[in-house]
Amino acid sequence: MSNFINRRKFVSSASLSAAGFLISDCVLGMHDPNSELNAADTKSVTLKYNLMNDVMKYRKIDSHVHAHLFDGGPEGNIAFADRLGIDKMFISLPAYRGEGTPQDFRSYNDLMLDCMKQYPDRLIGQFTANAIFQKESLEEIKRCVDLGMVGLKVYTQLKINDPLFYPIIEKMIDLKMIIHMHAYAQLGLGGYRMKYDIGIRPNTSIPEDFVDIAKRYPEAMFQYAHIGGGGDWEYACKSFVNYPNIYVDTSGSNNPENMIDSAMKLLGEDRLFFGSDNCYYQSVGKILASNLTENQKKKVFFDNYNEILKKSGRNVD
Amino acid sequence: MLIDINAYVGNWPFQQLKYNTCEALYSRMNKFGVDLSVISNLNGIFYKNTQSSNEELFEEIRSNRKFKDRFIPYAVINPIYAGWQDDLEICIKNFGFKGVRLYPSYHDYEILDPACIELVKRVRDYGLPVVFNFRMEDPRQRSWIDTAYVKNNGIREWNLKNILPIVKAVPDAKYIILNFANATKLDAEELNLVKRTNLLFDTSGRAITNMADFIKQFGEDKFAFGTHSPILDYLTGLLRIESLYSSEADEKTKDLLRSGNAKTMLGL
Repeated sequence: MSNFINRRKFVSSASLSAAGFLISDCVLGMHDPNSELNAADTKSVTLKYNLMNDVMKYRKIDSHVHAHLFDGGPEGNIAFADRLGIDKMFISLPAYRGEGTPQDFRSYNDLMLDCMKQYPDRLIGQFTANAIFQKESLEEIKRCVDLGMVGLKVYTQLKINDPLFYPIIEKMIDLKMIIHMHAYAQLGLGGYRMKYDIGIRPNTSIPEDFVDIAKRYPEAMFQYAHIGGGGDWEYACKSFVNYPNIYVDTSGSNNPENMIDSAMKLLGEDRLFFGSDNCYYQSVGKILASNLTENQKKKVFFDNYNEILKKSGRNVD
Repeated sequence: MLIDINAYVGNWPFQQLKYNTCEALYSRMNKFGVDLSVISNLNGIFYKNTQSSNEELFEEIRSNRKFKDRFIPYAVINPIYAGWQDDLEICIKNFGFKGVRLYPSYHDYEILDPACIELVKRVRDYGLPVVFNFRMEDPRQRSWIDTAYVKNNGIREWNLKNILPIVKAVPDAKYIILNFANATKLDAEELNLVKRTNLLFDTSGRAITNMADFIKQFGEDKFAFGTHSPILDYLTGLLRIESLYSSEADEKTKDLLRSGNAKTMLGL
């Protein structure tokens, strides 16, 4: 029995595609001369799926996004937030080049504060610092928190488990805010089984560094950045299975078909945050294409990160 | 109507794939409203004798009557392997395949290898498209036994400039170029070559950070919906189209991207 419905059912069903069409066997090849299918049977009747309805039905908090880094000022962020129904963006500008001096990180944070003033209902800044400059970093954290920024975003000046980070982490524990660290998982990184070099900075934090610091500070919260950022996401997620204070954001330009389902299976439904890292299409597409339940999608898109914000009283309504 | 010009069945040896059979892809298509998919067999990238993969695909599509009206099969041909001319003829004349995919970096030949040029010309003479990929997956997460390089190229994967030499060499062929990655900047001559060639990109690639900009740069006739499934997720390529504002692409243009440009390229 053919799986296709007949023509009458096709035209009478509003839920079915209006774009039915007739494709000849000869056009597609594979012609079976014994086929008894008639023209009506060969109508395509795939269900109409409205992607943008699905996109817009979930509230979203972007837990990993930058302004003034990839695609200009906050206007670009907001344009994509509007396009894809992202309610709030937690923007940051870490010290991605140069030494990351106190002058650098203060100026980056000031830029984010300007963005927050420009779009107060949409953008919230994550402050950055550089633990090499410990005293200045602690002062900067206080300044930024007082000005309404939430959460620390750090880059590759030091590994997350470097002892210089300890006072910063302890401060973040006091604030009940998350530490969001740029990260990478590549076999070969840091001299371990080095097979090839793609120019990753030597102080980039790898999953083992996160595990090390998560064990030292079980009361701290760590966000492993962008499992879709090009690194080996399976390696990272497998590393974190037993460390409930390590969360991952799903941002990055990579959108493997099975990434979200696999991360959910390994880490559970509370430890995944939606994030884009400014790769907006992939960030939304890969979650919608996953097999997560409605409630799980809701948690990843919005609730999980909001639960983190609740701890410091900075949650989104 | 939706036509996916970039889908696969088969295996990727370094990572488990889901939805990588005709049956699973068929379900995926029905779930998300895709009417037709151009498919080839991933195994052809890794078999030395690619014809075995073409035979597998032919048999898999024949295994269920419902597949033949939903899948448009493309052959994988390696033009530096013995008997490829016969394989090509069998795939097109006997199996009814409707185009050919080439993988120079995996099959280890240069894009202007005389054998590659001959293959492209033969496919052109059948009136069918040839398909190249920017890449199959992000090389940053590649397995240690995956390809480490592209011949005579400092980077490990292609950008558009690496593919254009074959377009220039056989400008009257039909080209489908998939999974847009890396630099998109072209000089005026190169851009003119792209625009005047019968050439189509799919929408699956990560380089397409803003679909509207790409339409402006290359033209609305140069893009068609593609998923790169099951390696990439099933919806991102579609989201690039469906999230266009009407000021960026009206319904007529969106329909070109959903299926119109694909129909023209595929001769439907």
